[in-house]
Order: sequence, then structure tokens, then C-alpha cells
Amino acid sequence: MRLRVGAATHIGRVRALNEDVYLVRAERGLFVVCDGVGGTPAGEVASRMAVDNVLDRLRAANGTRAASSVAGDAGEPRYLPQTISLVEAVRHSNRFIYKEAQKDPRHAEMGTTIVGACLEQHIASVVHVGDSRAYLWHNGRLEPLTRDHSLVEAQIHAGLLDRAESVHSAHQNILVRVLGREPDVDVEVSEVPVQPGDYLLLCSDGLTRMVPEAAMADAISRLRDPQRICDDLIDAANRNGGADNVTVVVVEVAGSWWRRLATFAGLWRGHASGGHDAEAHPAV
Amino acid sequence: MPKLILQFENRVLKEYPTGVMVTIGRLPDNMVIIDNPAVSSHHACVYGDGDQFVVEDLQSTNGTFVNEKRVSRHTLSDGDVVLVGKHQIVFDAMGTGEAVDAAAPEPVLSMGDTVYLNTAQHRALLAKLGEPDAKGRAVSKVGVLRVVSGRADRSEYSLDAHTSVVGAGDSCLVRLKGWFKPKAAVAIARKADGYVATLLGGTTLINGERLNGRSYLQDGDVLLISGLTLEFRLRD
Repeated sequence: MRLRVGAATHIGRVRALNEDVYLVRAERGLFVVCDGVGGTPAGEVASRMAVDNVLDRLRAANGTRAASSVAGDAGEPRYLPQTISLVEAVRHSNRFIYKEAQKDPRHAEMGTTIVGACLEQHIASVVHVGDSRAYLWHNGRLEPLTRDHSLVEAQIHAGLLDRAESVHSAHQNILVRVLGREPDVDVEVSEVPVQPGDYLLLCSDGLTRMVPEAAMADAISRLRDPQRICDDLIDAANRNGGADNVTVVVVEVAGSWWRRLATFAGLWRGHASGGHDAEAHPAV
Repeated sequence: MPKLILQFENRVLKEYPTGVMVTIGRLPDNMVIIDNPAVSSHHACVYGDGDQFVVEDLQSTNGTFVNEKRVSRHTLSDGDVVLVGKHQIVFDAMGTGEAVDAAAPEPVLSMGDTVYLNTAQHRALLAKLGEPDAKGRAVSKVGVLRVVSGRADRSEYSLDAHTSVVGAGDSCLVRLKGWFKPKAAVAIARKADGYVATLLGGTTLINGERLNGRSYLQDGDVLLISGLTLEFRLRD
């Protein structure tokens, strides 16, 4: 499985500090977006801690994967070993941030959202806490893979609020789950099979509050190149107000070399290639 | 004092006292706000008339119903169900029981621009909203793949995990054997509404038809995955 990756983050047009952080480790198939909360400078600290900690933990856990896959309640469906490792890493980073917050009064209120995806053998393990989101673009359609841990989402679920009207709700910014605020956190998990031609998109709420999902889907259909999609979406968020930091990571599940060759030759019904191949970005 | 109990799908969302004129509608200037497109901006109102209470439709687009009959003005009796959009408002003439306030969030901790409700606050809120267990429920019936023909290490595989993969790779549930088999051929995801097969590599036929994207599996489907024939069955 070959991946092509684009990533970008921008401070937006209103905020004084970028508290968003992304992590791209294409060689491991690992992608994370975190949006820090808790005011300056704590939010920035928490989001950075989260990505660093998840990466460290996954590195450390690599050798002991078989053991952790045995865990799980009888009767409950099992997750794949790589999914369990990712969840463990997120839980660990929650504990870490929580402990750090207790040590330093300046960081007492810090926390961060997280959305992460780990791609292995065409299965994306997706985890999230908070209102940073993951989407799958499949056959021209953008499917949400996550449901925000927010008051608005809980109201929609209870039938109090209509999804189309929820964008106008005054309670947009009330989260019911974040990393680092309590000793333990419930991490939401899903496993999503991906096919060549699919795109995985991770983003902070700075994108989803500024750019409608239809426009996100359109950018992918139109541009196809992961980095150009990211840049385009960040521009769109800033054009629409840029009220918050905005971060986008786009991962294209590319076909094999012979399929690419066929694409060049025009034999395969697909898209032209471009952009850069799976390359490790520094954690920005 | 009599009260109005706002419900959605038989869950109590909020209770309102009837003392003054109670207005019902979509806009925030109503006392009972139902933020739903089926509800007009100022949909209906309930007010006291002597010692009785009356519901009146304010020429709403979709109408106001009492006990499933459309009304323009109706004197309420105990237990009457007023339907506004998909929400029910039950008239409780006795007004017993504590009034609960479900919609308003309780004191919250400020975190810069983003606000965080801690678990206790969140649980209390969810209990009032009547949210069922937030976790996605997987199908209760468990699928199995029974080997019909071809090389495999078992005669049957239980699809009890969230995702089961058929392929030549180490982590696959069903291991394909032999040369030139795809590492991952098909992923079978267990979802709330059934099992979904997604093609990952190689060629797969379901009941003789080529699988290209995704397909829901039905009991009795026959899968031909890179030379291995499997039958999908659902079991209790």
C-alpha cells in the first residue's frame, strides 16, 4: 500500500497563537491532529505533548504488540492489534498530560483534542477524543468517520437539534471529552477498510466550522493532490473568516506501481498523479 | 401548578411551568424552543383561560396536533399530547414531580474559547438528554465463513472481531495459501447494521459477481476470494 500525504496548519486570522499540532509519519502509516485547549500557553503545550507521547508510546509498544492484542472483554468484538496499540498510546498520553497539568499551576487547565489514524494493510484504525474529525473520501463522497464529543452532537443525538441547523448553535465550543483533563479517558475507536483511490482527511474544528463538508469533498475531487488539497482548504477556511487555528492532513491511498503506470498510459480510469510520495514530514 | 413536558421519541427532554403564556417555536425568543426545521418560528402557544389551559396554533406551516387531531384552538385536559413537528408536549394538569431543566448546560469550566464539561457534568447532562449508550452496537448475530473449497487452515472462521481480513498477510484471520495471493484481499467489517465486505486486493466474486467497492453480506452468500471459496452464514 502506497500513501501520498499532504499536511498544513495555519494560525487563522483571529488567534494570536497556533495551538494546533499535526504529526505525519507516512513510513509508519501514522497521522495525528491535535487541537490544544486551555488558553495560552497551556493549550499549545498539551497538543504538542499529545503527539510526542503517542509517537513515543507506539515506538515502545512495537515489540510487545502480540501481548496487548489478547486483552479485551469476552463477548465484545475484538479490535486489530494495531488498533489496540493506538488506543493504548492515546490513553497513555492522556495520563501523561493530566499528570503534567497537576505539577504546574500555569498548565492546570490544559487539554487537547486528538484525532489519529494508523494505516496498515488497507485498514485504517481511527481514534478520537474531542471535536477534531476524520473523514473518508470514497467514490466522490465524504463520509464522516468520527462523531464530535461535544454538547451540540449530544443534542443532535437526542433530537433537540437538527444537524443542518447545528452550525448556528451557540454551544459549538462546549466539549464533553478532551485529553488531559481527567485521569482516564474514553477513546472512541473505529476500523475502516480503505481502497486505492480513497482519501483520508484529518482536521481540527478550525476547518469544519469554516468550510462546509460539500466544499471539502469538492476540493478532493477537483485537486486530487494531497498537499494542494490541504493548502486549498486552509485558504478556504481563512477566506470564510479564519476564526480559529486550522489544520488539515490528507492521505491518499495510492494504487500500486503498475496501476500508476496504467494511469500514465491512460489505460486506467483514474486520475493523473502528482505531488510527493510517502515522505516523512517533521512534526510541525 | 400544571406543567408541560417536552418529549422526543418518548424521552423527556424538559419540563415547563404554565404560569404565564408559554410560546412554542423554533426561534430563541420562544419559551419552548424546538430547533427543528419541521417547527415554525412561532408555532403555537399555551395559556390559561379561567381555570383551564388552552393550546392555540399560531398558523404554523405543519400544524399543531392534540391527540393526533389537528387543532387551531383546544382546551387541554390532563394527559393530552400536543404534537409539534416530531416533538410531543404532554399536558400534566396536576404538575406533580420536580421540574427538571435538561437543555441548559450546568456551570462549565472555561478553557479559553473552548469550554469543557467534566465527566460528572457530562453524565448528568446525557442522563437528562436521555442518550442511550454512546457506543456503537455491533450486530447481535455473529457471522461465520465456512470453507467450501480451496486451501485453508480451518474449516470455519468466526467473524467476531470488528474487522476480519482475508489475505496472505500474517495478521489475517483467513490465511490465503499459495503463490501470488494478495497480502490483504478482502476486509469484512462488523457494523451495527450488518457485515460489509470491502475489496482490498486481488479478485473476489460474491455469488459469481465481481466485488469492486463494498458490499453488504447476506446469509448464504458465497465468496470466491483468490481461489478460496467461502460461504457466509449468520448465527445467533
